[in-house]
Amino acid sequence: GLVLLVLLVSNMLLTKEGVTSLPICPNGSCQLSLEELFDRAVKLSHYIHFLSSEMFNEFDERYAQGRGFIAKAVNGCHTASLTTPEDKEQAQQIHHEDLLNLILGVLRSWNDPLIHLASEVQRIKEAPETILWKAVEIEEQNKRLLEGMEKIVGRVHSGEIGNDIYTPWDGLPSLQLADEDSRLFAFYNLLHCLRRDSHKIDNYLKVLRCRLIHDNNC
Amino acid sequence: MKQRFISSAQIILQLVLAAVGLTGHSYPGKPQIIRCRSLEKETFSCWWKPGSDGGLPINYTLFYSKDSEEQIYECPDYLTSGPNSCYFDKNHTNPWTTYIITVMATNEIGSNSSDPQHVDVTSIVQPDAPVNLSLEANTSANMSYLWAQWSPPPLADVTSNSHVYHYELRIKPEENEGWETLSVGTQTHYEVTSLQAGVKYVVQVRCMLDLGEWSEWSSETRIQIPKGRSPPEKPTIVKCRSPEKETFTCWWKPASDGGLPTNHTLLYSKEGEEKVYECPDYKTAGPHSCYFDKKHTSFWTIYNITVRATNEMGSNVSDPHYVDVTYIVQPDPPVNITLELKKSINRKPYLVLTWSPPPLADVRSGWLTLEYELRLKPEEGEEWETIFVGQQTQCKMFSLNPGKRYIVQIHCKPDHHGLWSEWSPEMYIEIPTDFKVKDMVVWIIVGVLSSLICLIMSWTMILKGYRMMAFILPPVPGPKIKGIDTHLLETGKSEELLSALGCHGFPPTSDCEELLIEYLEVEDSEDQQLMPSHDTPSKSAKIILKETDSDSGRGSCDSPSLLPVKCRESRAPPSTLQTQDIRAAQENRRGKGSWETQCTASEQKTLPFISESTTSCTWLAAQLPCNQPAMFAYHSTVEAFKITLNTTNVNTSPVLVGNQENRQSLYPIAETVCDDMEMRSDMENSRTDPTTVQVRQNKHNDKSPLLNPKLMDYVEVHKVRQDEEPTLLLKHKENSGKTKKYTVPGTSKEYTKVSTVVDHHILVLLPDQRIQHTPVAPEPVMETSQNSQQSQAEKNTSYSTTAPSDPKRDTSGSDYMDPSSFMPSFK
Repeated sequence: GLVLLVLLVSNMLLTKEGVTSLPICPNGSCQLSLEELFDRAVKLSHYIHFLSSEMFNEFDERYAQGRGFIAKAVNGCHTASLTTPEDKEQAQQIHHEDLLNLILGVLRSWNDPLIHLASEVQRIKEAPETILWKAVEIEEQNKRLLEGMEKIVGRVHSGEIGNDIYTPWDGLPSLQLADEDSRLFAFYNLLHCLRRDSHKIDNYLKVLRCRLIHDNNC
Repeated sequence: MKQRFISSAQIILQLVLAAVGLTGHSYPGKPQIIRCRSLEKETFSCWWKPGSDGGLPINYTLFYSKDSEEQIYECPDYLTSGPNSCYFDKNHTNPWTTYIITVMATNEIGSNSSDPQHVDVTSIVQPDAPVNLSLEANTSANMSYLWAQWSPPPLADVTSNSHVYHYELRIKPEENEGWETLSVGTQTHYEVTSLQAGVKYVVQVRCMLDLGEWSEWSSETRIQIPKGRSPPEKPTIVKCRSPEKETFTCWWKPASDGGLPTNHTLLYSKEGEEKVYECPDYKTAGPHSCYFDKKHTSFWTIYNITVRATNEMGSNVSDPHYVDVTYIVQPDPPVNITLELKKSINRKPYLVLTWSPPPLADVRSGWLTLEYELRLKPEEGEEWETIFVGQQTQCKMFSLNPGKRYIVQIHCKPDHHGLWSEWSPEMYIEIPTDFKVKDMVVWIIVGVLSSLICLIMSWTMILKGYRMMAFILPPVPGPKIKGIDTHLLETGKSEELLSALGCHGFPPTSDCEELLIEYLEVEDSEDQQLMPSHDTPSKSAKIILKETDSDSGRGSCDSPSLLPVKCRESRAPPSTLQTQDIRAAQENRRGKGSWETQCTASEQKTLPFISESTTSCTWLAAQLPCNQPAMFAYHSTVEAFKITLNTTNVNTSPVLVGNQENRQSLYPIAETVCDDMEMRSDMENSRTDPTTVQVRQNKHNDKSPLLNPKLMDYVEVHKVRQDEEPTLLLKHKENSGKTKKYTVPGTSKEYTKVSTVVDHHILVLLPDQRIQHTPVAPEPVMETSQNSQQSQAEKNTSYSTTAPSDPKRDTSGSDYMDPSSFMPSFK
């Protein structure tokens, strides 16, 4: 009994130690540091890209085998009009504010299609639960990331936020096509673009974090 | 006799000759005609083998005679066919004549003749092999063919060379074994088609006259068939790889070049662009590759790559290869791997591994993020232990076996896509063994502690004597769970409550000891129960099975495995008992509704407990090692469609028959779940897929352990799924016909509460406490011996007539508690 009590007490003590401390508030204003903001954004973008790759792979395995979708998918994505860095040099040369704005633009451009994707994907014949779940989850997390990015941009930018960068998406009718093959291809293309853009965002964010927080020495 | 004489005379003669030979001279040896052969059936030659020369020059003379004449001739020509031969030219050769030929060897001392040889010219014809075989290979568009020419065999008599030969040609690829033989006819040339381009062939010919034998094969002639001249085949793009997420390289495998020098060009187009570009750099990455430098590498863009192979005859294009460089990153292995042994404060060594990313990979800018995985194993080990370490570039390894040499390797991969790099070169580290001091301390502590324990043990042994042994090594416990009387709790007799729970005080109280003895008595009775079983031989098998089933403690485990036997038996139940069965079924039908509700209500509560172990009997045995105050008669049956009640226990029959008649008795709870698989297979055996409900009768302890040795009956209640009617069956040890002998007045049982439903198949029923005291004597002998106890118990027993579904019963039934509810959850 005594031993038990001792164990219990010590356990409680340990648990107490494990409690994470609240963010420190210097000068009375409780703001997350930019580093903390970037860390969270990178975690989120990493997660979103993980989900979108998984979803694409699942879809590809299940619906796209032998249909030659990849050859047709070279027509580009709706965000293609946003000129984003295509290699390391471009990503390093672009001004960080511009890159942040581009990230915001890509994220905003996906708001609309993600909402439709989450609802339309349920109409795919025998869509597995994992795909449905991921579509909803990505949509949610994308919003969260957008919020976070706006916070980061607000912190980094001295002046105005480029609110106008945005690419409209007109792919909804293609997701509702009667012809199954065309409809599946529309999904394939959308998921392929989502995987690509989520990877772009993740990659740019990781570059920006190293540049702004770690002075290019990650 | 005569032959022997001759042969011995020959031997003597030879000895004499040999003796002479030793001195220098003797007769020549006997020559032997080896063969006669006609090349073209107009002339022929004969060859002979000389015998021993006897030390002197020998002259050979060939004589022949013709079968039609008496006269003997000598060889016309000793020269033409070489030494030791005779050539018969045209004039001396007659195809219609048989020649009788002998060769005589002569020297100064004497002569010796060969055995005569009969020669028919037409039967010894064999030409020489053809000569001057020449080959010529040709390749047209898709076909390779071979032109072979040769000459007929040359003859000594050139003037007579006008014979017609038949030819055969054989051919094979040089490295093969099997020849392909082709019949040519009489011409001296031949065209061989459908040959493989680029292969070297071997060719031979032979010939034959219209009679006689085939000549030898001519000497081998070889020829290399040139490769065909055709357009190259489709090359294949093998893979594309980017080592650092900045440049990339694609490799292809050329197919057959069509026998001509072939050029490969790589063409690509990028997503969203119509223009087709050619590979910017064929050289950097080696042959059959194309290197895309930083300028030519874009990410998040699909490249459509093809390779075209071209030669004089035409060109062929590979299948397109779609590549997004983002997904083909495969870094080089990590470098600068260091292994370092460090010692922690408690002197335990641990291994610190550090490494650097591959030099090409620029991880500092954040453009590429690498994740690492390391693996290690003892040098002699078989299996690697693999550890994923994420983005760290160092790792600490604890708890490595001292004295072993470990091999460590690391590889890396981009964080999202791409492939693992190769493993880094093997690194070795030896974990030292010099940490014995600490081990010694541990062992000393262990030794002291164990000797202390021994001391305490022996001290207790002395105090408590032999009984201690029985406590430490109790008899094999059965699945006997005694219910817990809440009266015990109310009266606050904690000791008894504890004992009911199986937690005996230490040292054990006399109560517990008593229980043990009683338990052993029941074991005896079990054996004795076998005897009455012989009275009913027709049931003997079944009874024996049940005996093993009951009381033994194995019951709950064994019973499922016995089910098949029972099922088989149940197909031929005694007709008298079937009626009872029907009644039972009907009775149960009545109570069905309320049953099910109770089942579901209590289901969840007990499931965790049941799932504690696969065989709950084992679990029980472990949990309640000393909790044997109550005895159990335990039965299980699988009753399918034709459920029988032929299993009525002799001893319990008075009670049970009564129960069956008034249909009020449901047996008290306990749970039993045995191996599910076993159960299932049993069910399959019975082919009726019954749902099994097992009811275990739990005896009330009556607060006095002395009164405990009453048998408890376990009853299985089965639900037959086919008719969806639950059937509750009591399983007894004997035929009901015998029951009257042992009538105990006023005994009946009632089951008032369904405790649990386990696995959707098993009902666990709780008895009303007040109904509990059904004395069950295991068998007549036992009964007499236990009479006093039983009668006492009977007096204590009151029977309720309330139906099991009566809600009141539920509350009263709660007097008995399933031991499971007292058990701590082990999950």
